[in-house]
Amino acid sequence: MAHEGEVRDELARLRARTADVTAVVAASVDGLVLAADPPVEDAEGIAALTAAALGVGLRLADTTGRGAFRELLVHGESGYVATYAAGIGCVLTVLAGPRVNVGRLHMEARRAGARVAELLDGAAVRLEDS
Amino acid sequence: MANTETALKDAMTSIEGVIGVALVDYTSGMALGTIGGGKDLDLNVAAAGNTDVVRAKVRTMEMLGLKDEIEDILITLGTQYHLIRLLSGRGKSGLFLYLALDKNRANLAMARHQLRSIEADLEV
Repeated sequence: MAHEGEVRDELARLRARTADVTAVVAASVDGLVLAADPPVEDAEGIAALTAAALGVGLRLADTTGRGAFRELLVHGESGYVATYAAGIGCVLTVLAGPRVNVGRLHMEARRAGARVAELLDGAAVRLEDS
Repeated sequence: MANTETALKDAMTSIEGVIGVALVDYTSGMALGTIGGGKDLDLNVAAAGNTDVVRAKVRTMEMLGLKDEIEDILITLGTQYHLIRLLSGRGKSGLFLYLALDKNRANLAMARHQLRSIEADLEV
């Protein structure tokens, strides 16, 4: 994939800008890893579970009339797992500690999601053009 | 006793020169309520950013071994005052009131005084 490096840079930037974020995985909506920072061992597992959670989240938002998917936040006793939309076929899943600034996480992850969307969807559009 | 919405409205209308007010939970960085602000001042961004300010000061005090509490934090800009008042009391710890003021119109002493009474009245 032509943009893998750029996507990973974006994930690294998100992690650097938000204290207490431990890992970020960019995954396709069908559960495959596109990039991860740092290269965590269980990225495949995270991506697969993200796809499963996304399936329920999408349907829940849809049946309750909340529109298209934006984000999903799970707050556990020892931290957060959050998934943010990043364009047509991709999402970012962020692992963070219990002390993370959720307001900042939302802000930075939404921005990162939009930039990853630009990188990936921009590439898809260019492929269709040629 | 005033609820969050009433307290924010009260701050917005009674304090001279207010641009925006937010009640923020600094354990999460999320705003419990906001009023004013508009496109020039995104209060949710301000809530997240100022959470870092408060946390940094709390950490610094810990490192200095100061066994004290922050009452408020004043940030003076070229054209604005930003006032952060940490809340204390039952159900209110971990929260702060954030106030952005127009420097030309505001009376800082009066604003601090009014903010103190709004805090005393607030029930979350």
